[in-house]
Amino acid sequence: MESPLFLPTLAACRLLLAWVQLPVLDGLQLDHQLTSPLTSYFRLKEGLWLYHHGVDPYLGGVLKHSPLFLSLFSTVSPGRVAWALSDIVGAWALVRIWHSRQQLGQSRRDGLVGAAYLLNPYILLPSLASSTSTFENAVVLLTLMFAAEGRPSPALLALALSIHLSLSTSLLLVPVLMLLVTSPTSRLASPRPFGGSYWMVFKYASEFVVYWSVLVCAASIMAGGVWNWMHESWGASLILPDLTPNPGLWWYFFTEMFDHFRPFFLMVFSTHLAIYIMPVCIKFQHDALYAAFLLLGILGTFKPYLTLADPGLFLSMFAVFPEIYPYLRHAVVTALLHAHASLLLPLFHALWVIEGRGNANFYYAASLVMGVAGGAGIVDACFAGMRIAIGNGSEAERGKWEVVQQ
Amino acid sequence: MSLIPIASLSQGTYIDENALQPAQVNTYWNWQDVHRADQYLYHLEGLRDRNSTSEERAQFIRNELANLGLRAATQNYTFTASSGLLSGVNAYAIMASPRTPSSEAMVISATWRSEVGKEPYNLRGISIVLALAAFLKNYSLWAKDIIFVIGDGYLDGMQAWLNAYHGTIPPNLETSLLEYTSGVIWTALNIDYSGHSFSHLGVFFEGLNGRLPNQDLINSVRLISHYTGGVPFIVYDHLEPNDFPDRWQTTSILANAPDFIRQSPQLQDFEYRAKNIVRHINYQARGKPSGAHGLYHKFRIDAITLFAVPATGPHGFLALGRIVESALRTTNNLLERLHASFFFYLFTSPGTFMKIGKFLPSAVLVSAAMMISGLGDWVNAGWLHEAVTENDREEAAAGGPSSKIQGKKMVRWRMRRRPLLRPIFTVLGTHVMGLLAFNLMRSPIFVENHLAASLLLFGALTILPFVFASLPDRTPEVAPFSLLLKSFNLCLASIVISTTSLLNFSLAAILAITLAVPLMYSSCSRSSPPRIVSLAKYVTYSFLAWGWLFLRDEVKQAIWNWEVLGIWFAPFICIVYGPLVTQAGVVSLQP
Amino acid sequence: MHWLQHLSRHCLLLLACLSALTLAIPQEERVSNFFGRHTGTSGHTNNWAVLVCASRYWFNYRHMANALGMYRTVKRLGIPDSNIILMLADDTACNARNQFPGSVYAKAGRHLDLYGDNIEVDYRGYEVTVENFIRLLTGRVDPSVPRSKRLLTDDRSNIFVYMTGHGGNEFLKFQDNEEISAFDIADAFEQMWQKKRYNEILFMIDTCQANTMYSQFYSPNILATGSSEIGENSYSHENDNDIGVSVIDSYTHFVLEFMEGINKTSQVSMQDLFSSYDPVKIRSHPGVRSDLFQRPLESALITDFFGGVSQAEIFPVIEDADTTTQHIIRVSSPDHVVPPDPVSPQAHNGQDFDKANATAVMPQKDAVALDVRWRDIRKWTSIVIVGFLVGWVSLVR
Repeated sequence: MESPLFLPTLAACRLLLAWVQLPVLDGLQLDHQLTSPLTSYFRLKEGLWLYHHGVDPYLGGVLKHSPLFLSLFSTVSPGRVAWALSDIVGAWALVRIWHSRQQLGQSRRDGLVGAAYLLNPYILLPSLASSTSTFENAVVLLTLMFAAEGRPSPALLALALSIHLSLSTSLLLVPVLMLLVTSPTSRLASPRPFGGSYWMVFKYASEFVVYWSVLVCAASIMAGGVWNWMHESWGASLILPDLTPNPGLWWYFFTEMFDHFRPFFLMVFSTHLAIYIMPVCIKFQHDALYAAFLLLGILGTFKPYLTLADPGLFLSMFAVFPEIYPYLRHAVVTALLHAHASLLLPLFHALWVIEGRGNANFYYAASLVMGVAGGAGIVDACFAGMRIAIGNGSEAERGKWEVVQQ
Repeated sequence: MSLIPIASLSQGTYIDENALQPAQVNTYWNWQDVHRADQYLYHLEGLRDRNSTSEERAQFIRNELANLGLRAATQNYTFTASSGLLSGVNAYAIMASPRTPSSEAMVISATWRSEVGKEPYNLRGISIVLALAAFLKNYSLWAKDIIFVIGDGYLDGMQAWLNAYHGTIPPNLETSLLEYTSGVIWTALNIDYSGHSFSHLGVFFEGLNGRLPNQDLINSVRLISHYTGGVPFIVYDHLEPNDFPDRWQTTSILANAPDFIRQSPQLQDFEYRAKNIVRHINYQARGKPSGAHGLYHKFRIDAITLFAVPATGPHGFLALGRIVESALRTTNNLLERLHASFFFYLFTSPGTFMKIGKFLPSAVLVSAAMMISGLGDWVNAGWLHEAVTENDREEAAAGGPSSKIQGKKMVRWRMRRRPLLRPIFTVLGTHVMGLLAFNLMRSPIFVENHLAASLLLFGALTILPFVFASLPDRTPEVAPFSLLLKSFNLCLASIVISTTSLLNFSLAAILAITLAVPLMYSSCSRSSPPRIVSLAKYVTYSFLAWGWLFLRDEVKQAIWNWEVLGIWFAPFICIVYGPLVTQAGVVSLQP
Repeated sequence: MHWLQHLSRHCLLLLACLSALTLAIPQEERVSNFFGRHTGTSGHTNNWAVLVCASRYWFNYRHMANALGMYRTVKRLGIPDSNIILMLADDTACNARNQFPGSVYAKAGRHLDLYGDNIEVDYRGYEVTVENFIRLLTGRVDPSVPRSKRLLTDDRSNIFVYMTGHGGNEFLKFQDNEEISAFDIADAFEQMWQKKRYNEILFMIDTCQANTMYSQFYSPNILATGSSEIGENSYSHENDNDIGVSVIDSYTHFVLEFMEGINKTSQVSMQDLFSSYDPVKIRSHPGVRSDLFQRPLESALITDFFGGVSQAEIFPVIEDADTTTQHIIRVSSPDHVVPPDPVSPQAHNGQDFDKANATAVMPQKDAVALDVRWRDIRKWTSIVIVGFLVGWVSLVR
């Protein structure tokens, strides 16, 4: 794991996997844990087919992807290599983030960080299932990488792209802007007030708006209209038209709800996501990368149309913050909760959909376990991030904070 | 767990689905049809006595069904298992519903062999299916197609037919697609009538991998059996204590107890219910179907086997025919699949059952206890607990490590590192070992020389884990490997139990018993025992984990079940159970 | 011919006398006569029946049989098919599970086929909805709805409303899909009262907790009765073992049994019907609500609701002529003020057609090629824009 050849080998293995035909893969593509209507490869293919036959792909309510996916995959045929490459790019970005956080070129942990992304089952399985969340994750990591390396324009473009691909990612806007004007190094242990210049933030924000509007233009040109694709792809995460079950917390609420409460609760659920931005960014104003990490955790728990790839990104990013490990209070509990959730989700899904013995409540119970696991991860990371500031410095200082048991 | 058979914990059964309307029809099956069944029986007995081949039997049945004007055909099949080939011929016929499109169907089936009763051949079961085909054809009120299936062998024929019907032919099954098909099958009745006459009608309901059919089906047939057929209805072939007081007295395990115990109705009832549950657990935990009906469950078909409990009387074809006719009228009324979460239950007696909420906690509590103790070990591994002597006191006070004066004694807690990699590799390693062992067991060499091979395999499985149990690491700064491994082991076992408890309660209950004790007591509390003792303990664990390899028939049957029927029991034991116990063994090796 | 002329002349004379008489009566007396018409006889001139079976599926055979039993009774007692609105949520007669296709029986033994050969189902299957039922009562129907599906009542109509199905506290399920609440029916009746759509209503309902369904009524002249109290189930009466399901509900069975003894000229009162209720036999406690009804139950005849009357009422001629002419003037005036303009929309259509023709005339191949090229342009433009953006970003430092 410490040899410099480890990562390339891993990447080569991942590429090889793209050529291996496994009989399981076809089943994976339809798995509700791994793909949601927003990321489903089947729907993308359907959209491409409609597009090639001169039908507006956004009319039937099938395609909920961004038009940019259409333009990408109508020029490049969507092979599984694309997903493998995207995974490798993501892993590479994660390693680069790690480098710039530690301010060094090479380190012995590189292999571990890369493996945390490439070997994470929550990342690997959706990628094998050809879920487009793989691309979204890679773009998010690229955003953070560019921002951490202090390259504002690429970072802002990547951010614009990732928000364009998945609207929920807009949670990252504030921390990325903050990260651009501060340094990515770990300041968790020595918090201090936000030191960046607000003028620069404003400048970057306007640059972001420009990129974003150009992307919207490009997408509208591709889709041959403005309203249709926006309503279908961005609207989907706001008004939740498709209630296909997923490991997230939204769908069940809205299947059970009376129609006249829907708009109100859609508003509540969406606002609930946005509510976290400010507290997290204020509390961790000294370490914007950490704030972004926590917000990814929030997305990985409360996002509409959650798939396993979302908590997977959060879990993989733990590798970048080794300094918090000693302060995690219940890492094992979180791990066990995830183990439970990842066993229960497919089991209850099969029990409900395939065998017909269970019902939706079973699966929802499993997705609640998933939610609790995600919540536990966030709370723990949040606590550790704050606890580290107190520090354990010298033995003498440590004594003051000791909890004594009798 | 032993409380489960208590009567007051169970509740009375009821029909949840409005549409069923059981036992509300006149039945028209009469002596003429019984006579027809007798004639079929005569021919079948001739076939049996001539030792006719599968092909001849299936052809006879097909011809008879075709003579009735039904669409009838035969199906050849061959299973390839590691223990050899298995082939046979099924016969079936489809009666199209006269007034609806053929989108739904129900099945009446019988298999050539019977394994519950004393008679090996289910001739009367087949005769009555044939006679029913002739009889039911005269009605115009069927809203679903009725399919009559005669499966060859005991389970294999039905498995081949169902796979062919649903187009899910596994690679080791060689058969053609069926000549005739119908719609989606919703319910199925399998008839097992091997004796001459019968006194009670028993129901068998456990399916593959512990799946159960919807309880409404069982309850409806019970009502029909009582009111339409006038036949007492029982679970399995267990007679109720008050049915035959004399016979009960001799078969009861309390037979030698004093009179007042033997004749206490409460105790008799308890014993009866306990017997039912033990039988149920025996089927369900092994994932074994208790009859051919169990194969249907995989395809989301609610099915049961009606077993005519052999006796000298008083019932015969007449009562059974009426019950089946009425049961079909009931399932014919269904408008949608049976649902309402009526799939999780324990039948304690024919009229009473336990809901999932009542029995599930018994397994989940054990699992929770294991989880808590695993977490406790994890916490313990993180802290070093040292009793500091008086001399160290000065130093401690000066150095300022965590210390507290408590009377004269000082207790010091120190955090220590918990290296994770080694226990994780041990856990992964043992499971991979289990996987390899399972694949080895499926090879023909293993099947041929079972004893030698199993000895070798057992030896390998016992010695290999020593790799993981290397020298003890006694540095106080690092948590002991055994403690970490034990904590992992307990947490893992807990997850396994709690997730299986809903899928297959019996398996979870058995696991809770067989895993909890050895895993909890795998490491000795304080003093390190002599090497010999820990070695002996390890060998015991090893036997617990892999000792069943020596049970030749069991292993052979389990492997066959996996290969032909897809029962998860063998792989589960190899890949999950065995390794878990081995891990506990490794823990016990550490001082 | 001669005698006919005589007759008509006599009639005219008679009419003139009558009108003279009515004119002679003082205003006050006429008013009190009008409002007091419910003290003695019913004062209705026509009879209607609305019979609703709200549940579907084969195992609810008995509800269909209930409604058909009532249908047979009201028809026998003289309400013509044109005045009966029959709503059946399912067609049990033709269900594949029916051993006797085309027949519905309400009694074990199957002596009387209720479906028979002379039956008019006005609302069937999925047409039986809460909305349709309320529209029917209040008369707010689409202009396209045929006469047979309308309740063409006036302020001299006695209506018999019978409902059956599965219900609960203050609701009745329609087709296992939606519910009508006691408030909905009460409001619909009030609207009918305000629109002068009835003279008197007899509301009868057979369902679980049926008596709650009429608890919310507040409009006058409604007599209501139901099969069971709150918290009480209504049970089926008997089961036919060849049909395999229950064939009729207990309450309806005994009401129908009582009705069998009635003919068109019977003087049996509603009170007699209500006194015949036997909670022991019915196995539930039927209820009656008569506080809104302004006549004593003893004088309200069964045939006031179940039978068809053939009485006529005569209005003075003069008043009538006056109002009608006024009416005509009022109605016709807007037509002249705003003449409809049928030309303009047609013109629009024509233009559209031209366009469509123009595009259709173009050769098919060219259109496709153009379309493909246009799509490619769109695609490449979007890619070029994104590519340009990426290039720009990577150059900018």
